[in-house]
Amino acid sequence: MASLVRVGVYVPVWERGGHRVPGPDEDAFTLAATAVERAIGDGGDPRGPIWVDLVGDAGGIDLAALSAFVGPDAEIHPSSGADADLVSVVRSAAASPADGLVVAADLGRAAVDAGAVAWLFAAGAPTVPYAGGADSAPGARGPVALARSWAARAAPAELRRWVGDVASIASEARPLPTEVAPTAAPPSRAVSEGALVPRPQYLEAVPGHWRFRAERCSHCGRIGFPARGRCRECGRDDGLAEVGLPLDGGTVVATTWIGKGGQPTEFDPQVEATGSFGVALVDLAPGARATLQITDAAPGELRIGSRVGTRLRRSYSLEGEWRYARKAVPLPAR
Amino acid sequence: MGAHRAAVIGAGHTRFGALPDGPRALLRGAVDGAFGSVDQGVDRARVGRAYLATLGFGGWQIGNSSAVLAEEAGLPGVAAVRVENACASGGFAVHAAVAAIAAGDAEVVLVAGLEKMTDVSNARRRYWLGVSGETDWERQAGLTFAGVYGMIASRYLALHNVGPEALAEVAVKNHANGARNPNAHFQKPVSREAALAAPRVADPLGLYDCCPVSDGAAALLLCAPEAAREFTDRPVYIDGTGAASDRLAVQERPEPTRFEATRQAGEAALRSARCERSALSFLELHDCFTIAELLALEDLGFAPRGGAGAMTLAGETRPDGPLPVNPDGGLKAKGHPIGATGVSQAYEVFLQLRGDAGVRQLRSPTRAMTHNVGGAGATAAVTIFSKE
Repeated sequence: MASLVRVGVYVPVWERGGHRVPGPDEDAFTLAATAVERAIGDGGDPRGPIWVDLVGDAGGIDLAALSAFVGPDAEIHPSSGADADLVSVVRSAAASPADGLVVAADLGRAAVDAGAVAWLFAAGAPTVPYAGGADSAPGARGPVALARSWAARAAPAELRRWVGDVASIASEARPLPTEVAPTAAPPSRAVSEGALVPRPQYLEAVPGHWRFRAERCSHCGRIGFPARGRCRECGRDDGLAEVGLPLDGGTVVATTWIGKGGQPTEFDPQVEATGSFGVALVDLAPGARATLQITDAAPGELRIGSRVGTRLRRSYSLEGEWRYARKAVPLPAR
Repeated sequence: MGAHRAAVIGAGHTRFGALPDGPRALLRGAVDGAFGSVDQGVDRARVGRAYLATLGFGGWQIGNSSAVLAEEAGLPGVAAVRVENACASGGFAVHAAVAAIAAGDAEVVLVAGLEKMTDVSNARRRYWLGVSGETDWERQAGLTFAGVYGMIASRYLALHNVGPEALAEVAVKNHANGARNPNAHFQKPVSREAALAAPRVADPLGLYDCCPVSDGAAALLLCAPEAAREFTDRPVYIDGTGAASDRLAVQERPEPTRFEATRQAGEAALRSARCERSALSFLELHDCFTIAELLALEDLGFAPRGGAGAMTLAGETRPDGPLPVNPDGGLKAKGHPIGATGVSQAYEVFLQLRGDAGVRQLRSPTRAMTHNVGGAGATAAVTIFSKE
């Protein structure tokens, strides 16, 4: 009997030297967060405490941020550390009373059992066209240590016994442009000076950006996003229920490409490192629309009418910390 | 037609552009111009209220700047206040003055708009240009106003199957108008080809689709309509005002290509002036980006949805067309010193309705509308003026 409700796995879209590598706006936290939200599912909520276990070296992940991302009932267990492999982490988590488990592989090490990850992908998305490099190549990062012949591998018997459902996302690999720095610079120590998105205001936007929560008014039925505790239609501040928005399947309704120099100052380092960027207005659900920077895409790839997914990514840095925002990524047409 | 609500008896205007003058000199220039323009003169002791429209760009005297206006205007002790609604500060300051006159708070009211924008570094300028936009989503996606209007333009063009030449034509017309305005930031015409080929700022908007960053000030003197003849034989009247606000973020509005605040403000202003659209001789519209002029023509009911581009391409909004728009060059060519803009629009109406607009004088205009927008449609102020 499976005691782990769901497992989420995420592999970056970028490829370099035969390995999947994180893009310039990805880090250990965004990889973990993306896997977490896949495990929780569209609009879903953990039905109780959720056990988050980090495989491998969790040092790169801001645990407080991850806890905020998962929600108030998160139990983070980073202790399995560098020595643990995926199977043994799953085994210990399955013995916990918690309701769910998310396994997020970190960036730093290849401590992930290649066969186990392969099985997770096979179970969650049997058609993932993963075209990775050599089998368990030394130095491979996180879950990219997949075998070229992964599809032929048998799932580890233990995993099959414990894991109920697997949600994974991995798109067709895109070569990471050579001019793009694979790792970003340390966060800027510049202070916000008030209007440059002060930290308290940034934190206010976290439920919308990170957990993608909207609210539905029980009086008029209107969805408001982001949630502000007051219905935009009828003005009532009672009877509002939190609802999650779909992570994938949004539609672009407007888009622009910001020319070099047209970005706000806090985005200067991004433009210097990876060039100018696109922004899209995306319809997520009736009444819910978001302004999202475009990532994992070529210039002009996303147009009005394009289907997009959303991912939490690094946005800019201030006051010595990275700020994260949800961004739009291309999805294959239906 | 309805009753007059206030009279404009004087108006002043500095040059707009990248100027060596500081904020005090700019204010002084506009205010002296306004007092000097009152035909029979006005005793400063009769000025009972003063409104200063300014964002405080760059951090200049961001608090209590209205006291500086009182100093530069020579109005010691006057009740003065700063009015701030981003790019619509000027329009809302004019409305505050009209309300003060209607309430009997003052015989004569001074309104001044000011912005000093070119004295800060490029990085600080981009910081300040972003402070009036929505922060949580638009700013954190990496947008300034050019980007927000770029998104809106992309949707407008796609929705109505309009080509970029409609945007370019707004720039061509307003630059041609600016070339006849000695106060304009840009006084050189541009060709449609040059506008279309310009570097992209926020695709589909190019360099010539965007208003410049300018220094400048403008000022008005207003009084009760029945007192106007004491000061001049040629007063210009304010017959109606309308103002509205909308959700700050474009993503929270049902249709990004419609500015509901503009629509509501326009309806309210026309209603309060009891004025038909067809009675208006010309319009001063808020064209911070070329797309904004097209949106305004539609939101205010002068063009059908998706029809403002064709109207513009047909020359209907040129000075010799049936409904001239922005004969002074608009924000696009005249410049857009944020707080000064709404006051500057009224200045142009003052000149045109009195027949004082020189080489750009329209043929005997009798009524006009000014339309002033804060940011990407978060606030809007519309005012109706008449000659008689």
